[in-house]
Amino acid sequence: MWLKLFAAILTASIAAPTVAAEPEALPPYVPAYDPTTVDERGLWNQADELELLYKRSEHLIEDEELNAFVRRILCNTVGNDRCDGVRIYILNVPAFNASMMPNGAMAVWSGLLLRLRSEANLASVLAHEFAHFELRHNLQGFKNRRSASDMLAWTVVLGNAAAVDTRNSQISLFGSIFRFNRNMERQADLLALQYLKQSPYPSRASSQVWQYLMEEADARAAGRKIRRKDRYRAGFFDTHPTSLDRADYLLEKSMEYGDTGNAEQTAYFDAIQPWLPKLLADQVRLNDFGGTEYLLGNIAGVTGWTPELVLARAELYATRGKPRDLITATTLYLDAIDKGHETSEVLRGLGLSLVKSGRRKEGAEYLGRYLAQNPDAPDAAIIKMYVPKGDE
Amino acid sequence: MKNKLLLVIGAIALVNSPISAHKIVEPGEPRKVAKGTLMAVSGQQWNRLQQKEGKYQEVWSVDGHHLNRIAFYGAVPVDKPLIKERHKKRAPLPKVQANMLLPDIPVLLERTYRAQYSIPNFEIGLQEPAKFIGQKGIRFEYSYTNPDDEVKRSGEGFGALVDGALYLVTYEAPSLYYFEKEKEEFRGVVERLELREQRR
Amino acid sequence: MLTIRWLWYILLSCYLAFASMGISAQEKTGNREGFELEPGSVRIALLEPSVRVGSQSTGGMFEPNADWTEQAKENLEAELARKQELLGNEIVRLSLDNVPQNRELVQYHALFGAVASSVIEYQFFPGNRLPTKKKSKAFEWSVGPGLADIESLNGFDYILLIRTKDAYGSTGRKLLQVAGLLGAVAGFGTAVQSGEHIGMAGLVDVKTGDLVWLNADLAMGGDVRKVEGAEKRVRQLLEGFPGSSDSEN
Repeated sequence: MWLKLFAAILTASIAAPTVAAEPEALPPYVPAYDPTTVDERGLWNQADELELLYKRSEHLIEDEELNAFVRRILCNTVGNDRCDGVRIYILNVPAFNASMMPNGAMAVWSGLLLRLRSEANLASVLAHEFAHFELRHNLQGFKNRRSASDMLAWTVVLGNAAAVDTRNSQISLFGSIFRFNRNMERQADLLALQYLKQSPYPSRASSQVWQYLMEEADARAAGRKIRRKDRYRAGFFDTHPTSLDRADYLLEKSMEYGDTGNAEQTAYFDAIQPWLPKLLADQVRLNDFGGTEYLLGNIAGVTGWTPELVLARAELYATRGKPRDLITATTLYLDAIDKGHETSEVLRGLGLSLVKSGRRKEGAEYLGRYLAQNPDAPDAAIIKMYVPKGDE
Repeated sequence: MKNKLLLVIGAIALVNSPISAHKIVEPGEPRKVAKGTLMAVSGQQWNRLQQKEGKYQEVWSVDGHHLNRIAFYGAVPVDKPLIKERHKKRAPLPKVQANMLLPDIPVLLERTYRAQYSIPNFEIGLQEPAKFIGQKGIRFEYSYTNPDDEVKRSGEGFGALVDGALYLVTYEAPSLYYFEKEKEEFRGVVERLELREQRR
Repeated sequence: MLTIRWLWYILLSCYLAFASMGISAQEKTGNREGFELEPGSVRIALLEPSVRVGSQSTGGMFEPNADWTEQAKENLEAELARKQELLGNEIVRLSLDNVPQNRELVQYHALFGAVASSVIEYQFFPGNRLPTKKKSKAFEWSVGPGLADIESLNGFDYILLIRTKDAYGSTGRKLLQVAGLLGAVAGFGTAVQSGEHIGMAGLVDVKTGDLVWLNADLAMGGDVRKVEGAEKRVRQLLEGFPGSSDSEN
């Protein structure tokens, strides 16, 4: 339920600012924000309620180190004064999203950690959301979007009459209500660039984030054989419309600034290293071959093919499981072992892939090693089925 | 025209009538389930729910699907998903595969739930061999939390592959209080479950 | 031979029939068989009531309104206290945070939601009833005796759950409602609600975890934006509250 509320708050808290000109210098920060109009207070209350849901959610990641890391990046980028008014919630959701509510609560989905490649990338995402907050986006946009949603309702009724799957169209059209106009997104982008310019990070990192997301969408679509025009619609793109233009103007602006800095790629992966196996496992299980392959390759571009990445790639092929995939998976599992990563996942995955490829004896060998290493594994009994007695 | 009128009258009648959409399952009576692919005998009264998520599925409940749910999946063939996909291209689900092994069955369920319902934390626990519909099958335990209602649920499943098709039965209920309530009854249903001759 | 005109007459009369009885016949209250509450005897924990009031655009978007919500909250709690005082019961507000075993309490709170959803979905719509729940077994819903182990519930006999949501409909949405209804009657289409006035009140026995009483209405009355309206709403919510004079037992 909070996923839906989350989307509602995400959209409701954003609107067109009254100032049309681009901010040249960072505006002086006014920390205390009391909602004044009735509508604003209504949204604030709803934000408070949603924040309680985050606090109590089974999906909240409370790990101190990870939270401290994300907080440090935000404070590095927008400064301590601004940072103080923000409460960060990291939610265990394997997709890219981040949002800021009118009351200062920021939510970040764990999936975004896999899709960024540097501290600077993370800084630009956090700065972008914070920029919406600082610009005091009032309810103008909220009211504007109301007329778009009116249209939706008629479509729902008519869609039913044409025997169209209502729920599907509701989900995809509902997303389109929350499509911000380019001006609003641009304002937030440009203010975020200002933050980055004054931070230790290069502002170029903002443009990169969009490039990565689009490339991932391309890869996912190619994997699913979906046409080009449908690609940048689903998920995050519903609430943050993008195009090549956006990545372009961000790059252009940052080149104008000409600022340099250390993006801190290695430090970024060092910080998320403890979480990588879990993030990778969650991603592999999403049934998105193309997108996952893309992500793995790009993380490897920074860190090299670490054993965890090789394992994730092996699992990706093993779960798709076509005969040729099993050969690839087997090779990759063996690679992981060569790198000294003879973990339970590797042994189990390799053993089962071999068995499925018809190489039962070799498979049994590795599964035997798995059992020897993990005698109390929850699946020991079923794995034993594939290790004929007398082979151990 | 005439058909439309009948539809209208039928619709009104349905809404007004006290006849339930769901059918009662009486204990002790063998009955066909999952489109006649299986034969089941219950030990107590269940409700066979009208709603299902695809043509291979049949659902029973005592207190409503939020609170307890037995789902039968009968003869799911190779290259088909367990439940109906929302959109074949944009939101595909994992499919039954020809080279599936028993440990792949809980993984198929997990990936289906993660993809279809956006359930971020799904954990598979114990997995062991079990006799299921007269076959060498698997019994597995699992748990997850649905972000829609934030309720932690426990699950138990039995599965087997017969002639290249997947047969699966799962029982899910909130871990707090409800899971224990019908667990033994579920295991009894599974024990008595039989495969029916398939005419192909 | 049916002509278009005939079909229109039929559809129109169906619409009128529907409009008068509500889109689907729905019951409102359930009691556990044999449950009785002696007024003046009990201590009730009011568990974080959820009150939301706002308006609803044609597209069904809920726009919260702080003043209306605040007013409704005030009136709700005042009326609850007054009503319980009349019965001689004590009612205390309990938060879900900063209390002992709050994690477990949060889990029970989520489970209450699932139970209430089940009751509303499968009990209160005759067409959707579960055939196993008949007569004396009709209202058997519980969260189990584990509830009594929660420390923060010590000293309380019952938990009272309240949820209300009001979304006042716009004219545009009222027009949509007609179109949708016609569609619904013809066998396809969504019945579009104009405005949404949902309320639910439930009572849980702490000792057993049994849901002993639930009142739910998907079309409540009383304009909660006004004091008298809010009072009326609370009266409706608590209608049939066990032990009160309008209780059905």
